[in-house]
Amino acid sequence: MSRRRQLAALVRKDLRLELRTRETIVAMVLFAIVMMAILQFGFGTRDDDLTRFVGGLMWVTLAFTAVLGVGRSYVAEREQRVLDGLLVSPVPRVVMLGAKAIAIFLYMTAVEVIVIPLVGVFFVQGPYWDAIGWIAIAALLANACIALSGTLFSGLALFTRARDLILPVLFLPALVPVVIAAAGATHAVAGGPHDMSEWRGYCLFLLAYAILFSLVSVATYDAVFDD
Amino acid sequence: MPGERAALIWGVVATILVVVSTIGVFLVAPEDADQGVIQRIFYFHVAIAIASLVAFAVACVAGILYLRTRDARWDDVGEASIRIGLLFSVLVVITGSIWAKASWGTWWVWTDPRLVTYLIVVLIYAAYFVLRSSAEDDRRMRYSAIYAIAGFASVPLSFYSVRVAESFVHPVVFTSSGANMPGSMLIWFVVSQAAMIALFIALLEVDLVGRRSERALRRLALRLENA
Amino acid sequence: MHAYGERRAVDGVDLQVDAGERLAIAGPNGAGKSTLLRMLATLLRPRAGHLRVLGADVADDPRRARAGLGYLAHDPLVYLDLTARQNLELYGDLYGIPDRDGRIDDLLDHVDLLARAEDPVRAFSRGMAQRLALARMLLHRPLLLLLDEPHASLDARATALLDRELGAARDDGRAAVIVTHEVERVADVADRLVVLRAGRVVLDEPTAGMDARDVRRRYEEATA
Repeated sequence: MSRRRQLAALVRKDLRLELRTRETIVAMVLFAIVMMAILQFGFGTRDDDLTRFVGGLMWVTLAFTAVLGVGRSYVAEREQRVLDGLLVSPVPRVVMLGAKAIAIFLYMTAVEVIVIPLVGVFFVQGPYWDAIGWIAIAALLANACIALSGTLFSGLALFTRARDLILPVLFLPALVPVVIAAAGATHAVAGGPHDMSEWRGYCLFLLAYAILFSLVSVATYDAVFDD
Repeated sequence: MPGERAALIWGVVATILVVVSTIGVFLVAPEDADQGVIQRIFYFHVAIAIASLVAFAVACVAGILYLRTRDARWDDVGEASIRIGLLFSVLVVITGSIWAKASWGTWWVWTDPRLVTYLIVVLIYAAYFVLRSSAEDDRRMRYSAIYAIAGFASVPLSFYSVRVAESFVHPVVFTSSGANMPGSMLIWFVVSQAAMIALFIALLEVDLVGRRSERALRRLALRLENA
Repeated sequence: MHAYGERRAVDGVDLQVDAGERLAIAGPNGAGKSTLLRMLATLLRPRAGHLRVLGADVADDPRRARAGLGYLAHDPLVYLDLTARQNLELYGDLYGIPDRDGRIDDLLDHVDLLARAEDPVRAFSRGMAQRLALARMLLHRPLLLLLDEPHASLDARATALLDRELGAARDDGRAAVIVTHEVERVADVADRLVVLRAGRVVLDEPTAGMDARDVRRRYEEATA
């Protein structure tokens, strides 16, 4: 049994479901935009210049958006009660983990393709696309972090009571380092002259986070579904 | 019972060490030239912080062992360790806050990496108990074990994420080249550290003795019910 | 053995199912039938004791057992927003079956869904969804069929298909475990009856030569 074939089938399944129902990504994008707007209203009157904060606010927003998306990640399996079908098939649990992580990664990337250039207008100083490019690299690394830890925590929350509440409680504290680093990397390149050594430091940190959480996930994911 | 004897011995050891270190720290150790008497809180602040990390490490190892053996006793060790570790972390935040008030005149400094990190650590491990209370039996133990492992991976990440953008306003007592303090201070630091770790072990043993008898009682009740 | 908390759901069950044998498991509600079947399906880990499925120790090598299992549950275990064909393609890839598309066409034809292959399952009647579940179960030519109350959830057409499949299973040396509380049907579909009560086996005998009334009487004696 080829693991690659299994992985591709599971990812294709998630994308097909998303394309047909369009439930998750559209809601994530709308949520991100609404929340950015609310944060702007909450923080300032018309006179204040929020430019310095907006990069950070964007990552706070994306973190909450991630919680929303990750919370939807097993919703078809749970509501349509399909999970047993996957679990009795000879799929290694780590392949299930990888497929879910890839789906979350793609959802987050899809949201950011819209949100980052849009919000970037409000805080990027200096050459616009240059800064957006560097931010995009940090964002992809942050997405890997979000996807890996999110898959693990959504698996843990799946069969708990009040799972919609449990997931943010588990997931957000673990996301704090990601938000700090992604916002730091954004800040380093958004203010005109780039501070590339700072940007590199934050990106390396994100990479380390992704590696560490992939190790933890691979080591523990068998146990998540091992009733 | 060996468990009770261990609890008693560690209780005595911890009591002696705590008394000795308190006397040493307040009466014997030399006064810090710059900071005066408030610097003495450092002995407890740092010792408790390290002891709490030891507790979380023990919980992580107990989690790994639980997943290997599925023996409920490892779940007991894990939960008791995190309970004590969380208590210690709260003390770290409180003592750190007192120190901040004395040094800088304010209870909370968001730019101080140590305070902020420990706040994240408190949040991570508080979530452990939320997770525990929303699942039952084997699932509770399994999820707790996985979370104890993932949580311990989050701790160093929180440390580094806060320090990537380090602002060194906090008095640095340790540097990477070793302890930056006179030998007489170091001795009392080592004694307080030993006291806090002994305190952790004693609390853990007492907790485990309680759980063991509770479990035996429950088994007995079940047997009576079935008879 | 399997326990929920301190309550033992299945305890001291010692059974062996041979190739070509069709075993029916009956018992009152809460007897541990479903727990036992979920353990056989590798969905629940036994808390104590040994379980070998298709020659593989479930604790050590569950994937080898899973490759040969066909599991029919109350739920059809298919995605409602995928088409019938897309669902079978997914499972075909998960089981790594060769000539996936040909096999899917054969099975859709077999369960009479070929005309609806491109419709999402959400538009299906319950009977159609169950026929799709049957196709899903048979897709990878499993050696051991695990059926959870099949007659409660299948309609007449699907039941006829299933009964034919169980007959074929006996003839070519595949095995089946059928959990049911419709004991009257046991004589038709199984070679052996096991009755569970409070997690323990209280009856284990072949059904050869018995008719529906005999089986019902033996069941009632065992559970009385």
